[in-house]
Amino acid sequence: MAETKYVGKTIRGKEAPRHVSGRGNFVDDIVLRGMLHAVILRSPHAHARIAKVDAEAALNHPGVLSVVTPADVQSMTRPFKPGRYAAGLTKPIFEYATAVDKVRYVGEPVAAVAARDRGSAEDALELISVDYEPLPAVVDTRDAMSPTSPPLFEELGANLAWRGFLTYGNIEAAFAEADQIVRERLKIHRYSSTPLEPFACIASFDASTQKLTVWVNAQVPEVIYDALREALGLEDVRVIIPDIGGSFGQKIHLIRKYVVITSLLALKSRRPVKWIEDRSEHMMAAGHACAQEFDVEAAVKRDGTVLGLRFKEIDDVGGSVSTLTIHFTNKLNNLTNTYKVQNISMEGYSVVTNKCPVVPNRGIGKPGMCFIWERIMDRIAEALSLSPIEVRQVNLVPPDQFPYTTPNGNVYDSGDYPALLQQALKSIGYEKFREEQRREREKGRLLGIGVVVGVEPGGRNAARDLAIFPEMKETPGSGGVNGATIKLEKNGTVALFLGSPNSGQSHETTSAQVAADILGISTEKISTSTPFDSDLAPWGVAAANSGNNFHLYDIGAVHGAATRLKEKILKLAAHVLDAAPAELTIENGTVHAPGSPLKKVTFAELGKIAYGNQALMPKGFEAGLQTTFYYTFPHADTNLVPGSDRKVRAQFTFSAAAHAVIVEVDRHTGKVHVLRYLIVSDNGVVINPRVVEGQAYGSAAHGISVALGEGFIYNSDGQLLTITLTDYGKSSTLETPRIEIEHHPVPSPFTALGQKAAGEGAAIPSPAAIASAVEDALRPLGVKVRELPLTPEAVWRLIKNAQGGNSKFEIRNSK
Amino acid sequence: MKQAVRVIVNGRLYEEEVEPRLLLPYFLRENVGLTGTHVGCVIGECGACTILLDGKLVKSCLLFAAQADGKSILTVEGLGQNGSLHPVQEAFIEHYGLQCGYCTPGMVLAAYYLLSKNPDPSEAEIRLGLAGNLCMCTGYVQIVEAVKAAANRMRQA
Repeated sequence: MAETKYVGKTIRGKEAPRHVSGRGNFVDDIVLRGMLHAVILRSPHAHARIAKVDAEAALNHPGVLSVVTPADVQSMTRPFKPGRYAAGLTKPIFEYATAVDKVRYVGEPVAAVAARDRGSAEDALELISVDYEPLPAVVDTRDAMSPTSPPLFEELGANLAWRGFLTYGNIEAAFAEADQIVRERLKIHRYSSTPLEPFACIASFDASTQKLTVWVNAQVPEVIYDALREALGLEDVRVIIPDIGGSFGQKIHLIRKYVVITSLLALKSRRPVKWIEDRSEHMMAAGHACAQEFDVEAAVKRDGTVLGLRFKEIDDVGGSVSTLTIHFTNKLNNLTNTYKVQNISMEGYSVVTNKCPVVPNRGIGKPGMCFIWERIMDRIAEALSLSPIEVRQVNLVPPDQFPYTTPNGNVYDSGDYPALLQQALKSIGYEKFREEQRREREKGRLLGIGVVVGVEPGGRNAARDLAIFPEMKETPGSGGVNGATIKLEKNGTVALFLGSPNSGQSHETTSAQVAADILGISTEKISTSTPFDSDLAPWGVAAANSGNNFHLYDIGAVHGAATRLKEKILKLAAHVLDAAPAELTIENGTVHAPGSPLKKVTFAELGKIAYGNQALMPKGFEAGLQTTFYYTFPHADTNLVPGSDRKVRAQFTFSAAAHAVIVEVDRHTGKVHVLRYLIVSDNGVVINPRVVEGQAYGSAAHGISVALGEGFIYNSDGQLLTITLTDYGKSSTLETPRIEIEHHPVPSPFTALGQKAAGEGAAIPSPAAIASAVEDALRPLGVKVRELPLTPEAVWRLIKNAQGGNSKFEIRNSK
Repeated sequence: MKQAVRVIVNGRLYEEEVEPRLLLPYFLRENVGLTGTHVGCVIGECGACTILLDGKLVKSCLLFAAQADGKSILTVEGLGQNGSLHPVQEAFIEHYGLQCGYCTPGMVLAAYYLLSKNPDPSEAEIRLGLAGNLCMCTGYVQIVEAVKAAANRMRQA
């Protein structure tokens, strides 16, 4: 793009003024006339058969207008289609919005009540009697895989619900050729990103037109749209998504259950119904990131070169089959991380347990994949007596090999990984720190440094899943599509309609910056329309505020729509000014023709013509100044759909970063203090630096908090012990370090502006960075860090065990 | 049985009959109609519902509406004057001290309160002052920068 008056600059945010003044528009801020308030009855058991549900008394309670029971759900709705997240299912399992015959996790929805006020609904909820026949809870994945374990789904016969294997290159040869095999077992726990605004939904059904309208804080309109049509059999469904109070993947999947339940209450009562989840409900039942266990083996040469990587993964997917394989399949997205390894094989086990179902969360399986790589790199360094930096350097994809195709078919668009690593080492003062560390160790201080690298993929390709499930009956589609509409109003201002919702990533701001540069108009003259409305928005399958889609599909669509609008503006202006379009220039909303300063026409004047003065339009000109553009990634041909080699582009752009962190461990308490946390980030051409930095700060802070302690804990009965944010261990301002960021952009050759993704990225390497630094701090004690989280208790135990002493307290938790 | 509540919100008197169990943030949102006070946990952990009650910073979800009887409340909607934003609000905009906006009203009020007590806080004091307000989006870096900038602006004003 020739002019960038706005792209690359931090402009005044468009969303911020409404939020700082309390004028955000969240679902709970919306009130409809006659609206009822819903509450949900949830299972107190981890595993039980539902013998009987009696809701008669609740229905007769004053103020109550409708009740939904499992029997209603079975008679009024159809089960959800399994979808691609559950493609590995060998037998059909019917899952509805509520439990119907069994409950499989604490907090699973069983029934719901809608009343004129929330208090009455809550009172009535207590009048619903459910006879449960409790069953033994299956909590531990190893126990769950035993043939004697009580099956969660009788149809499957076992709790090992899926097993799959995939290999690229010649893994056997790589291992045969190796100088050494390095092995490790690693674990990541259950966590979430706990958006501050819990799930929220309003459903309103117009019986006269059979139209259902829902307002919901869902990230992916398609999930809600399809779920309502499939479950309720309605044709006319409208999904409105106002401001979302944080999402992070959490608001993609399970939220559909609650939209269906709320809609059923609305259908039965013929009244609008609002349902607002509370915090403990969110912690129990809104979805968790998967606990993952990895057996990793690397085949290495003496110089540290990794010839091959083999890993086996056990995923604790919780009490649903609807997201059976997402944490495994998503590892295809960053399978080789930043490394040039050619041979890699993966084996996955998805185990159902009586815990909350797993859902997407800031990178889904990608933090796990990065954890595998970066932990094994440190292990290789140890085994070969090399520096951990050296081992990484020797394996990085060299900058002259981009675009670089990974053995599993990803095409890395651009990058300079050695430069990221080098800059991180320099900026953190690596060599100097090593000296300080030596000095301080002598005084007994446990200081450590971790330096890791990771990629942040962006864009989507549903055909990816065919690499793992080539037998999929229903095509998952391929690539992605999303649109944008832009309109020059008759007063000369510009209205922009995005095809996707916004949950805090400043989409209104950055899309205006892109359009402003193309149109030659101030960003202040551009307003981006909210909320997302499926009846109006130019949306496609990538209308998903997830998977780093925005930078590719939405920005691509805005760029395309604005470029088209500009052509149209110039065509009209050329006619008015009696000039050729090519010789016109636009400056600050005015089109100028050469020859005379008087030969000019403003956008407002053009608007008045386009919407009201036919005589001044060129012959054949389509009236109006509005254009829509649907974007698909133009360089998607290679490996778009996997063939027999199973190679596939899992995503389309690849940002990358090096993370360097310095920690100090308190040897007496096990508490880890993060002293410095530095990111050197390549997000391609940055549209708005403060927006990109904000995304990195936030996702890094989450990854750090995850590594140092936030997480879900179940007891052996399958009861969740962490139903509040405090018990869960969310970091506040006091625990979160002051993260530093430096940019090292390498533009993508494939995107309109050279932009790459910037969103969940820093949550991918940060858990590995912390693990690496903590292990480095504890090196004098010979401690190995193999699992997260590194709570003070866990670190204290590592120290005690390394010192040969028995840790005094035994607390048994199943994570 | 309903209970009478007389409360001044952002300088204006409201008299309402409410259920004794009605929590204060719902009173502000539903009875008074000011939806800037958000609810994120209802047990005083997250700070989204932060307000000033008789000049003190409180988490409104820990109070019943009836407990505010006879008191004066400042919510985020009452911060700016005559249609212009308060310097704390301006600084949050300029420094990208927010993303999704859900924690923002509480965060802004906590920052406002902090600066009213300590006009020149250090980074550590800012972090301590905001420790009762959780944000899941920003990692706090730009929030802290916004509060520093607001402090500068207010000292110069």
